[in-house]
Amino acid sequence: MFKYLFAKNEDIPAGSAAVFFGFSSIVWFVVGTAIGSFNAAKLAFPDFVMGSEILSFGHMRQVHVLAVILGWISMAFAMAMMYITPALGNTKLWSEKLGVWNCFLWNVGLSLGLFLLWLGVTSGREYSDLPWPIDIVVIVGVLVPLGINVWMTIKTRRVQGIYTTNWFFGAATFMVIIVFSVGNAPEFFQLTGLTEAYLTWWFAHNVLGLWITPVAAAIAYYVVPKVTGNPLYSHRIGHLHFWSVVVFYSTPAAHHLMSAPLPEWLKSFASVEGVLILVPAIAFVSNLLLTMTGKWRMFVENIEIKFTITGVMMAIPLNMQGGFQQTRAINWYVHGTGWMVAHAHLALLGFSTFLEAAAVYYGLQTLLRRKLYSLGLANFHFWMLLIGFTTYWVAMTIAGLIQGAGKIYEVPYIDVVIAEHPYMIARWVGGTMVFLGNCVWLYNMWMTARAGTVIPAGRLPHELAYER
Amino acid sequence: MAWKFDNPLGTLTTDDQNASAKKLWNEETLGNITEDNKRLPQPVVGLMVLTIITAFMITFPLWGKRPTAAIYAPYIEMMSSAEVQGKSDAEAMAYITSQVKASGFEWQSELERHPLEMDDLRMIRDQLIELKQQGVDLREYNVVGNRLILANFEGNIRPDGSVERYQPWWDKGYTVAVFFIIFFTVGVGVAIKRLPEYSWQPTHGDH
Repeated sequence: MFKYLFAKNEDIPAGSAAVFFGFSSIVWFVVGTAIGSFNAAKLAFPDFVMGSEILSFGHMRQVHVLAVILGWISMAFAMAMMYITPALGNTKLWSEKLGVWNCFLWNVGLSLGLFLLWLGVTSGREYSDLPWPIDIVVIVGVLVPLGINVWMTIKTRRVQGIYTTNWFFGAATFMVIIVFSVGNAPEFFQLTGLTEAYLTWWFAHNVLGLWITPVAAAIAYYVVPKVTGNPLYSHRIGHLHFWSVVVFYSTPAAHHLMSAPLPEWLKSFASVEGVLILVPAIAFVSNLLLTMTGKWRMFVENIEIKFTITGVMMAIPLNMQGGFQQTRAINWYVHGTGWMVAHAHLALLGFSTFLEAAAVYYGLQTLLRRKLYSLGLANFHFWMLLIGFTTYWVAMTIAGLIQGAGKIYEVPYIDVVIAEHPYMIARWVGGTMVFLGNCVWLYNMWMTARAGTVIPAGRLPHELAYER
Repeated sequence: MAWKFDNPLGTLTTDDQNASAKKLWNEETLGNITEDNKRLPQPVVGLMVLTIITAFMITFPLWGKRPTAAIYAPYIEMMSSAEVQGKSDAEAMAYITSQVKASGFEWQSELERHPLEMDDLRMIRDQLIELKQQGVDLREYNVVGNRLILANFEGNIRPDGSVERYQPWWDKGYTVAVFFIIFFTVGVGVAIKRLPEYSWQPTHGDH
């Protein structure tokens, strides 16, 4: 990467930035899930690693969350944007050099930010834990350059139409800049009290709603038609999905604070909109599953489709949970419990991770012109991810219901802790499986780059048979 | 572009624009990806409609109402009645609840959702009597733990400038939500009507 930072744009091989982002994302996924496994071990075995402040749960939790969101998920998104956006416009990335600098600054900025969090320098605001100078680095050094590259690549496309995926890429890169700028306003302008609370959750909600969810969906819109060879089922349902995300997903932030003294009318509004998130979810899932018509055998045979369709199908429980758990009738019971932790992992480790993994698998093979080194290892990765995640999700959902009952019936806290202990162990087992699967994935992709069969010119990765 | 009121489901674009769009749609591939233009299957449309109805039905502000001081006023009145004196707490509470229920009290359903015991009533009794003496609307006060506090709900503004604190079954958040549904429906409708008419399908869907 370093040799390209000061090279001329035309001397940098096409796809370099995407490849750097792709491998960076996998490394951050390994790091993020390693810390997640460490944190889960501390909850399952309270005597594990005592006496060190910087290794305490409070410090490490923030590092885990942001390593996964800004390292794994967002870098995988950047990777996807840097090869899919030009591919859909029959053109090159607008500036490969900007992309390489983007990747460099992203890794440096994130490392610095996580190091500060590790030391305890934090804003103390969940999901927007990074201190405000790092927020500015993220906006100026990471998000704006990414947006410029995506928008300019779309603008300089060599086709007339703009495919659905690029609507989402173009809009999400714009919206996430707004989300970071406005969502971190409490730190920039010393806003406190209820305003800070509301903006904290406005940020957290919209990082999911206007960044992670639409970009993950955009990846599915690309991978499924591309690999199956089927046309996208419906352009017009794509419109329904896109506009309903913008309208219904951007508005319900107050439903994260249903027990706070926000105006009741704001909660009513947010709660209606929260259920209406099911509208884009139904449109998205319908469109992609119907696109699979006649090609369902690929769900078994092709690793990218396996990851993508699993991710798409996880959007069903994700949005059913998300839509209803925020209503007053249900939220009073599950708010502040492990149920929410399970739901957050269903969104980030379930739905979106499977889609990002598909993008990175497919993108790295395409850009490196190398066939996947081992289907066996990829399947191992898939099942470790799926079983590990499911174990985590089920365990935390049950733990959350126990906590909810304990909260409502005023059971002594220590009794709730004891009742949850088996589920905390299951959580650690599931999370550790995900971490181990990711280590195997990193090895598999490294070997793909080093020893994968060269893909002949004019052919695509999925057109070649797997060899191992 | 102009809305065609005589053919509301037809495309909003002109014939020339349509012909051009159809040609482009059929012939252009975007990174070797093509798009069909099929309609949502009817069961999925039904699911969408059900979702929107459910969104409004399940989130009525009514469902999240906290107990107001008003619903416990009859309980507090009966605490000092002769029939209650001499009874154990459990017997007294059973007597009070049965009497209020038999009277056809208008907020009986809320009482059943928020049951209390005699100790709870003792904690709020003096506060409730004081509020009644002040002549305030007891519906505007919530019972939070052992305190009666002015509800944080902000409703309509009265002619004297004060704000209604009693939470109705409908509030302005719902009005905003209805606006959003209309805004969304019109917005997406117009966007889709810029496309060729819904019955037209590109031909590349056959492969």
